[in-house]
This record gives sequence, structure tokens and C-alpha cells, in this order.
Amino acid sequence: MALATTAPLPVGRLRRRWLIYAGAFAFVAPALLNFLVFRYVPIVSAMYASLFEYSLIGGFGEFIGLAHYRRALEDPTFFTAMRVTVLFVLLKVPLQVGLALGLALLLQRQLPATTIVRTAVFLPVVTALVIASTLWQMMYHPQQGLINGLLSTLGVPRQPFLTNAFQALPALTAMTIWKDVGFSMVIFLAGLAGIPEVYYEAAAIDGANTWRRFMNITLPLLKRTTLFVTVTTTVFAFQVFTPIYVMTKGGPLDATKAVVYYVYQNAFAFNDMGYASALSIIVLFIILAVSLAQMWALRGEHEY
Amino acid sequence: MRGVAEPLVARDWTRAIRPPTPVARVLTAPLVAGALGRYLAYGLIFLIFTVPFVWMALGAFRNEQEIFRYVSPLQIRTFVPVEWTLQNFVEIFRLGFGRFLLNSIAVSSAVVASSLIFNTMAAYFFARLEFPLKGVLFVLVIATMLVPFEATIVPLYLVVRVLGLQDSYAGLIVPWYASPFVIFALAQFFREIPRELDEAAIIDGCGRLGVLRHVIVPNAVPALVTMALLEFQNIWNLFFWPLIVTSKPELMVIQVAIVTNTSPEQIYWGRTFASSVLASLPVIMLFLSLQRYYIRGAVLSGLKG
Repeated sequence: MALATTAPLPVGRLRRRWLIYAGAFAFVAPALLNFLVFRYVPIVSAMYASLFEYSLIGGFGEFIGLAHYRRALEDPTFFTAMRVTVLFVLLKVPLQVGLALGLALLLQRQLPATTIVRTAVFLPVVTALVIASTLWQMMYHPQQGLINGLLSTLGVPRQPFLTNAFQALPALTAMTIWKDVGFSMVIFLAGLAGIPEVYYEAAAIDGANTWRRFMNITLPLLKRTTLFVTVTTTVFAFQVFTPIYVMTKGGPLDATKAVVYYVYQNAFAFNDMGYASALSIIVLFIILAVSLAQMWALRGEHEY
Repeated sequence: MRGVAEPLVARDWTRAIRPPTPVARVLTAPLVAGALGRYLAYGLIFLIFTVPFVWMALGAFRNEQEIFRYVSPLQIRTFVPVEWTLQNFVEIFRLGFGRFLLNSIAVSSAVVASSLIFNTMAAYFFARLEFPLKGVLFVLVIATMLVPFEATIVPLYLVVRVLGLQDSYAGLIVPWYASPFVIFALAQFFREIPRELDEAAIIDGCGRLGVLRHVIVPNAVPALVTMALLEFQNIWNLFFWPLIVTSKPELMVIQVAIVTNTSPEQIYWGRTFASSVLASLPVIMLFLSLQRYYIRGAVLSGLKG
């Protein structure tokens, strides 16, 4: 881009250029400041705080080095929380990605009916997670919930859902899938629209049936989209908090106590900010590792 | 927006297998069955995703006892109130819901306003301005997108506390006045605007700010509207952050207020329904009327891939 300059003197040109750069930087500085202060500094400050006994009420206590991290390695509740989180992710991600793809395939035609259904599927996405959580909490109510009402009308025995240690996590997972599948579906729809029609026609001429066309054209060309959906869904799933806070508070018997909820408890309920900070750092690195692993596993892109 | 695949283009990949000319009825029978099955699927999916909302919306108009009298067996009365009442809405406003609503509106609007200003400036920087190591800065912005939010929320609280912003409107607004995703998306869009327009403005005497005001912004209105919508929705629906950063009741936003209707002793279902309906209404209305902007926003975040 042409930066308007007048005929310069050697020293003047340097000065002017520096001033121009400074002016340009002014445009981006506020945003960069925001990221520095509110996204990067917290990580550093958590690393720092995790080396101390620290509570919101008592303030900074003594320096204890890596004691919090050692404690985490021996903390049964932390391991339970990790197990619950991993279970949640393993339930949610494949189901959500699979359903999203299925919905996208089913609803990719341009019909009045499909437009309406697509809108309906996307509706939970724009609704607040809090609202979806309270709504489903009420739908899951053992005696008065809508779902049990439906079940008993169909002759199926009522289920305890959120009050049962085995059903609680799947029930919670189902709600989060209902909430998020629309978003993944829309991304898959965009990915599907990017596959040129000619590939399918060529395959049809070659005699490939529907299944073969799906496996050899659709799936490979959706790899990048699938990667994106999988990685982002996993990252978000690892951080699940609000549904737990609203629906089960970690129970029954820690069956739904995911790791971020445990961090929250340590920070604000048990007043152990130092430990909570250490746990946050650990979770952060686990998420990073899992994301990198996924991106490596799903790498590669088919170019036809 | 050029370069972004329109997600709602007809992509009928089964067209290739359908008989191209009318054939004997025996061959179309499975196709009719197929269409029937498909519409049944459409209907079922539609119900799964809308019935809960209908239950919630209509339940807000029932009094506490009636909500559950008709749950089983399933019937029309399960959903439609026998006695319509506004009692729940009256109750929640008596308990301060009006204030919470105003808080949400104020906070969301403030974030959208500041976001439009600072994100646009930053996107303009990346799309148009010269700066040494600009690429490095851009990578920094993208990396910021990868920082998981809820995992770092407690550390964020610590920083906010040090800055003295906790328990204040500033604490609810300031961490969000810039967003890496919005900057990324806007920068992509701005790059598509022809530089000839820039140059014409410069010839007319515009400086960098002038180009931004008179060329970039007017040409980017759809993108800016999309981003404003997304930001508004995100902040409006935010729960975890307001939960921990404010404790004073006057500062509560509606998402937090909804949850305070349920305590271990007693769940006020009617009030929860009513406050949920009111809290969802703005976002759903915005969504239904401006759908294509929402879908575009979701696609943008996916295609950046």
C-alpha cells in the first residue's frame, strides 16, 4: 500500500517511518493489551500462585513450591474428576460428531421442510447453556419431569436420571449434545457444500453405489471439517462446568464432578486458591496435549 | 462474502442415483417410502429440538401446582395451561428481575460497542497497515483463540481481582472488549475489500483513520453485523464468568439470576420457566430474524479451519 511521503531527507525518512509504524501500532495496541492482560497474564499468575498457599480470604501464605502439584498426583478426588471428564468427552465427542454429520447429510437438501428443521436444530445453540441446563434438569425430574411423563405413558418404568450415579453423567451428556449438535451440523453442512458435484457424478458413472460414494468421496473430503469439529468439541467438552453446577453440583457421589467443577470448588468453596491454580495449570496442559494429539491423528488432507 | 462457501446451497448428492426418466410404478414405490421415511425423520428431529422450548414457554404461564399435575399420562394439557396466569412473571419482577435484565442489556451492549471499536481497529491493522513482524503478531492473536476459557477462568479471576475490577460492571465488561476470533474473521473480510477504494480515499486526503471510517467500515457492514450479533449472544448467555466475578445482588445478570430460583430446599419451577423465557427471548428473536448472519458466523468459525 502506498504510504504517502514527501521527498525525504535521510534522517527524516527514518524518523517518519518509525512514526508511521507507531501510528499503525496504535490501532492494534488496545486489543493486544486485552489479550495480554486477560488471557496470557492469568496463565502466568496461576503458575505463580500455584507455588503458594493462597486463599481469597487469607491472602498469600507461605511459599510451598511444587507441593500443590504433588498433592494433585495423590488426590483421589482429582483422579475421579479426571475420570469423569474423560468419560464425558468420550461419550460426547463421537456421538455429537456422528449425529452432526448425520443431520447434515439428512438436511442438506434445499427444501422448505429442511430449512425449518435446520433452524430448529440450531435453536438450542443460541440459547444460553444455563437455560438449557435448568430446562433439562426439570425435564429429567424423577416424578414430575417431562421425559418420565413420556416414558410412563409409553409403559416404560420411570428413570431416576440425574439422581442416579450411573445415569447422571449420560443424562447430562445427552443434554449437552442436544445443545451443541446444531453448531457442528452447520459446519458440516458448509463442508458438504464445498464438495464439487462432479465427483459424485463421475463415481455414479463408474458404478459406485451410495455407500461407496459416501466412504470414498464424502468422508475423505470432509476430513478437515471433521478435524475442526472434533478438536473444538473435545476442547469445549473438557471444560464442562455450567451443566454440572446447575443440574447436579457434581453429584450424585461425584459421578458428575468434572475437573473444572473441582477447580471451582477448590477456589471458591474450599478457599484453596493455590491448589485451584495448580489444578488449572494441569488441566490447561492436558487440554493442549489432547488437542495436539488429535490434530496429529487426523492430519492430512485429500486433494483430488 | 467472497471465499466463504454458502452453507445452504442445494447439495443433493442422491440426484445421481435417481432414475432420470419416469419409470414404472414398481420402481418408484421404494422412493415414496424413502420420502415418507425422510419426512418422518424430519418431523421427529423437529420435535426433539422444539418440544422442550414449547414446554418451557407455555409452562411459564401456569401456576406452580398446575405445572406437574398433567405430566403423565402425556396429553395436550401437559403442555397447554388449563389456567393461564401471569403470576410467575409478576413474581420474578417483584424479586428484582427487571434490574437483572437491565444489567444484562447494559453489559452486553457495552461489550458489543467496545468490541466493534477495538476489534475493527485491530482487524484493519492486520488487513491494511504496514508494521514490522506483523505476521508474528497475527500468530499471537490466533494463538489466543486456543487458550481454553473455562480452564483459565480462576486465574483470570485472580488477575481481575488484582486490578480491583471484581464485583463491578467493569469486571463484567473489560475482559471482553477485544476478541481474537472477531479480529481474525474481520481481517479476512477486510482483505477482500479492493485496495483501489483505499487509494481513492487517500487521494481525496484521507489518512489511515479516514480510510477506515469511509472505505472499510461502510463496505463491511454484513460482517460487522454478524460479529456484533455473535458477541451480543455470547455475553448475554455468559454464566460462569458473572457467577464468580460478581457477588453483589445488584450486579447480577439474568443467567445467574435464573439459577438463584433453585435452592436445595425448594425449586420454584414457575419462576424458573418465566425467567428462562424472558432470558431466551431476545436472543431467539434476534436469531430468527437474522438467521443468515448467525449461520454465516458459525460457518466462518468452521471454515477458518
